[in-house]
Amino acid sequence: MERNIYAYKCKRCGHVQYPYRTICRNCHENDHNEFDIVPLPKKGKLLTFTHLFNPPSDFSTVFLSLGIVELEDGSRITGQLSIERPTIGMHVRANVEVVRKDEYNQYYGMVFYEA
Amino acid sequence: MRDVYVAGIGITSFTRLEYPLVEIAAYPGLMAMRESGIKSIDQLYVANMGAARVNHQSGLASAVVDNLSLTPAGAETIENGPASGASAIKQGFLAVASGMHDTVMVIGAERMREVNNLEATDFVATLTHPMAEYIYGVTLPSLAGMFARLYMEKYGVTSRHLAMVAVKNHKHAMDNFYAHLHEEITLEGILDSPDASTNNPIVADPLRYYDMCPVSDGGACLILTTADLAKKTGKPMVRLAGVGQATDTHAVHDRKDPTDLLAVREAAKKSFAMAGVKPADVHVAELHDAFTILEIVESEEAGFFERGQGHVALQEGYTRIGGKLPINPSGGLKAKGHPVGATGVGQAHEIVLQLWSEAGKRQVKNAKVGFTCNFGGFGNNVVCLTFIREG
Repeated sequence: MERNIYAYKCKRCGHVQYPYRTICRNCHENDHNEFDIVPLPKKGKLLTFTHLFNPPSDFSTVFLSLGIVELEDGSRITGQLSIERPTIGMHVRANVEVVRKDEYNQYYGMVFYEA
Repeated sequence: MRDVYVAGIGITSFTRLEYPLVEIAAYPGLMAMRESGIKSIDQLYVANMGAARVNHQSGLASAVVDNLSLTPAGAETIENGPASGASAIKQGFLAVASGMHDTVMVIGAERMREVNNLEATDFVATLTHPMAEYIYGVTLPSLAGMFARLYMEKYGVTSRHLAMVAVKNHKHAMDNFYAHLHEEITLEGILDSPDASTNNPIVADPLRYYDMCPVSDGGACLILTTADLAKKTGKPMVRLAGVGQATDTHAVHDRKDPTDLLAVREAAKKSFAMAGVKPADVHVAELHDAFTILEIVESEEAGFFERGQGHVALQEGYTRIGGKLPINPSGGLKAKGHPVGATGVGQAHEIVLQLWSEAGKRQVKNAKVGFTCNFGGFGNNVVCLTFIREG
């Protein structure tokens, strides 16, 4: 089964927002839950990134690579990078994987690889 | 609205403090009361971000008002992330300006060193978007790293410029008894020498250890009151003339231009408009340099320099004490320290001290108009204050 991260498409104006907001940021007109749930595209362009050398204690790695990606439909997402030498503007593709585990839960999110 | 004046100020050292949070809050209050001769207040606001989580204590204001034996005055705790301090000052301003209260005490206090560094960073990271940022391991340093990379690429800012902010603010802090870091640093030591990568390792690439503020405990206090009551203190009249606040998207990736700090721009504009001054009228500013890059960008967004010119002004010595617009004479968050909920009150404390001409060796000459920028989240909630000395 292919996993997705879902965004929220306003039923009134068609604007896609991620993460969820109760009111559409674009038209400000919709009522509660007037959204279609649509999967976010998985290809995009790396806008910026960092290698974090003091990651939170839930992570056992020496460093954690994080980035902001502009996806094909123009929406943006923050995600983890699994790329050795990332550069600004490079093309990336995402896989939805477990990005964090704590005592009780595991969380799925986008991990980006070189396209 | 009535005009609002500063009657008294107080502060603790920003460092690791080995006494309870309630006392960290109470001592600056005591100092401010002693200095101003004010013995009773109508209302107390306590700015704090993490007591319930870090110190296992909720209802902090109720504890502080009793500790200072100021009951039955009203008391509220104000939480607005790292902008809690200036937010509490804003509440104090509104209370006096509206005529509801005549004398209000605003305290900011935080005790973060009760937990280890990782826990403190994780506590601050709870500011980020829970599903779109936090789960990925996003922390404030990582947001600053991503922001810095993009900004540096766009405007030609280098690690050297960032290090200059640190060197300047560490130098300023040498003359501030209450500062966390009394450690003069050089570009040689943190950037150029063979030991630099050991002295100053990368934390959130491209940001290094000396690009980040320390984790501090600390408290600060401001007593706000009416013109008539402020006159009785015998101190120079300093008016809180402008209060501006603005917000931005919760998740940083949602911003149209991720190198914009829109909330800083809007909050500063509102604060200046209310005070009836222009950025060029400001003589001294305390900006929220939790990360060195932020001092540069905030100095532009507040309107002191053109976009992309903040690092040039820094390099030319404009922003050091003795320059045309000294920024962070206290040492800033970088070297004075960053007890999150107390920081905004600490910034105001420094500006009042400067406008009173009581800042000693770090005094900015003829300072009449002062400005603070208190930055919450990664720029999603910003409060800017403008203070004017009259006469």
